[in-house]
Amino acid sequence: MSKDGDNGWKESVWNPRTREFLGRTASSWGLILLFYLVFYIFLAGMFCLTMYVMLQTLDDHKPKWQDRLSTPGMVIRPKADEYYEITYNTQKTESWDMYAQTLDKFLSPYNNTAQVEKNNECKPDEYFKQEDSGDVKNNPKRSCQFNRTILDECSGITDRYYGYQGGQPCIIIKLNRVIGMLPGKDGQAPFVTCGAKKEDTEKIGELQYFPPNGTFNLMYYPYYGKKAQVNYSQPLVAVKFLNITTNEDVNIECRINANNIPTGSERDKWAGRVSFKLRINTI
Amino acid sequence: MARKNCLVKNLEAVETLGSTSTICSDKTGTLTQNRMTVAHMWFDNTIHEADTTEDQSGSSFDKSSATWVSLARIAALCNRAVFKAAQDTLPILKRGVAGDASESALLKCIELSCGSVKAMREKNKKVAEIPFNSTNKYQLSIHETEEGNENSYLLVMKGAPERILDRSSHIMVQGKEQPMDEEMKEAFQNAYQELGGLGERVLGFCHVFLPEDKYPKGFAFDTDEVNFETDNLCFVGLMSMIDPPRAAVPDAVGKCRSAGIKVIMVTGDHPITAKAIAKGVGIISEGNETVEDIAARLNIPVSQVNPRDAKACVIHGTDLKDLSQDQMDDILRNHTEIVFARTSPQQKLIIVEGCQRLGAIVAVTGDGVNDSPALKKADIGVAMGISGSDVSKQAADMILLDDNFASIVTGVEEGRLIFDNLKKSIAYTLTSNIPEITPFLFFILFNIPLPLGTITILCIDLGTDMVPAISLAYEAAESDIMKRQPRNPLRDKLVNERLISIAYGQIGMIQALGGFFAYFVVLAENGFRPYDLVGIRLNWDDRSNNDLEDSYGQQWTYEQRKIVEFTCHTAFFVSIVVVQWADVIICKTRRNSVFQQGMRNKILIFGLFEETALAALLSYCPGMDVALRMYPLKPSWWFCAFPYSFLIFVYDEIRKLILRRNPGGWVERETYY
Repeated sequence: MSKDGDNGWKESVWNPRTREFLGRTASSWGLILLFYLVFYIFLAGMFCLTMYVMLQTLDDHKPKWQDRLSTPGMVIRPKADEYYEITYNTQKTESWDMYAQTLDKFLSPYNNTAQVEKNNECKPDEYFKQEDSGDVKNNPKRSCQFNRTILDECSGITDRYYGYQGGQPCIIIKLNRVIGMLPGKDGQAPFVTCGAKKEDTEKIGELQYFPPNGTFNLMYYPYYGKKAQVNYSQPLVAVKFLNITTNEDVNIECRINANNIPTGSERDKWAGRVSFKLRINTI
Repeated sequence: MARKNCLVKNLEAVETLGSTSTICSDKTGTLTQNRMTVAHMWFDNTIHEADTTEDQSGSSFDKSSATWVSLARIAALCNRAVFKAAQDTLPILKRGVAGDASESALLKCIELSCGSVKAMREKNKKVAEIPFNSTNKYQLSIHETEEGNENSYLLVMKGAPERILDRSSHIMVQGKEQPMDEEMKEAFQNAYQELGGLGERVLGFCHVFLPEDKYPKGFAFDTDEVNFETDNLCFVGLMSMIDPPRAAVPDAVGKCRSAGIKVIMVTGDHPITAKAIAKGVGIISEGNETVEDIAARLNIPVSQVNPRDAKACVIHGTDLKDLSQDQMDDILRNHTEIVFARTSPQQKLIIVEGCQRLGAIVAVTGDGVNDSPALKKADIGVAMGISGSDVSKQAADMILLDDNFASIVTGVEEGRLIFDNLKKSIAYTLTSNIPEITPFLFFILFNIPLPLGTITILCIDLGTDMVPAISLAYEAAESDIMKRQPRNPLRDKLVNERLISIAYGQIGMIQALGGFFAYFVVLAENGFRPYDLVGIRLNWDDRSNNDLEDSYGQQWTYEQRKIVEFTCHTAFFVSIVVVQWADVIICKTRRNSVFQQGMRNKILIFGLFEETALAALLSYCPGMDVALRMYPLKPSWWFCAFPYSFLIFVYDEIRKLILRRNPGGWVERETYY
């Protein structure tokens, strides 16, 4: 009885008498597979057609919608592996060495020599507008130089260790690029201010900003996108912590201040601000 | 069903009714009206016709014969029917009677011809009675008489004519008793045949005056031990009644047969009556003959007739007793039109079992206590509501509240419709599985940002798809529902490969593409072109990456791009809603075009509006972004899936068109679920 059952099961997979595999003859399989092949090719074709039509409607230089980027994000460098926590020991070189190296690598495109090659000198304190006139596109667009030297003591030129060894670390702050964004109405440039979170106000000590006042100069805006402005140099602000309390966790928040950038949503901790924790151990 | 006067006791029974392939129907009360009227009488060796007109305007028969007096007396006395109270003003034929159909007919007949039955009964008081039972097939009662100067008891008996004849040694002719001889017996048989051949129910009547010496006044008649003789009686006559078929039955039987359902008559009545009624309602159709008919026509003995020539047959209960299971199966298999007559309740059960052995789904209709074993055994038992006994109503799965056999056709149609609509609903619901699962697959395989999230999947399955899926249960029948063969329960499954092939392999894929198109549109219009999305997943989902670069060079924080991702989920969800519009419209029909079927299903139309409104609510209602992470869509994004929705509709209409034009072709074999 069980043998018949076995045979029955095997027969439903391959029936040698009727030459059926899983209940279908070879020609039946052929037809159905052919149908599905043709069907899926047709569907793929239709999908590609609709995608092509959609892509044709997109502008090459500017996305259609930017409402989600109304408040640009901010990030810091060096970016540690941890979630925005910079912890090191002044005595131990290897604990801060990687920060210095990261900053070196990050700032190397900003070397003055490199910048002179790539970009133009621009008139400061006004938007560097390069408009298209109607259908005639004014491409490729030029970018302004952002020289490493602007960052002064945090540029890594004078102090190779960016202040880490001496317990006065430099943190670089970057504002996310948004095409067409013109921050700061009426000639008032956006600037960064850093402060401690509530409990740590005593610990933060004095701060020094490079460039002075922590401004992003207006000449770097608007950004025209990576296709039009190939060599765009994103402006940076560096903040140096002159006498931060050592051996303590200090929670710091840096914000962008501009009169036409709305405060970011409560939920997004990186929209228009960036929070990080700094801990310098001396023993 | 209730609106069509069918009380369904358990709901699965309706679906079973839809797969019925055989109906075993009782005759009296089910196929016929059970409103007997006495039509003929046989006494004094002649058939007399009774007046069945309402106002006695027809010709009356000769009532002068003393045999008639005796016959009338037996009919009046051996009878438990009584007129209901306070009806003296109504004409006799319209009066309500408490009692069974045959006895009511007799009561009315005698009341019409002889005057007050009540008076007759009072003059001849009943002292004992043995009521009718199916095994003996007679009933008798013993009365006091005042006939002549004999104060003897009169035993009156009525029942199945052959049983009455067996117990009779004498016969009354012109008021005088004569011994029974072969000539008389033959005359009896001829009369019986003739009357029965007219489809009438024939009852035999006999009596005997119990001799006073053996049965003195005050004799204690014992009906259990039967301490009196019930043989050697005097046969008086026959009375025959017609029980006309119900008006709607021939049509219903015709519909059942064209729906591929075999209708078998199973009755306790005489074979000739049964055959006549069967011919009358269409169970035995014109031109179909039994072996006896063929023998009679060709003038050859029955044994010489090739059994395979006869498609119809009439089987007597006594013959049924001797049949083995194989012989029974043989009969059931080889004859399309069968009548079983003079069957006992056990035999009704055996017949049902025989049909079920051959793989049929059997429905049994009946009204009497003797039908209840068969009703219980059947796959679906149908009892009569008005004239049915309580036992049969208990045993049945469905009760016909107006005793209308035609309701069974309604039941079959409803059952088939339920099965069809279930298929449609399942096909609709399963289709959306593909656009729900492929986003995750592609998320894993191609490392793109997740196109459709869990909450949105639930919004489809538990939110927008609910009403349209349920609305398909209210779909009207497609035109061919009663022209198809009954469903083969072993092979015709609810969900078969063809359904899966259509739902998952064809329509589902088109839907998925519609959703993906909307996904790519939303991302591309926000700055992430499709080519740059492949492989981006790890960076995209990295919380610490807050300056992720898009195709234009802009930088996005984690939350900002997640909002775009959730907007994609909302757009994908809305696209599924849009393609499901087309899906519900094509799932409405399996064979007919939507233009033929019409959009009369109001619940479906409501469902379409409701799901769209719900989708709009989920997208645009303030607070949804926090609660469900579903974001408002730009109006153009609603239209992304429209071409795919349109394609689904056109594709399926063409498929169904090919299906209709090429019945039995490859398209039907591979895609007709």
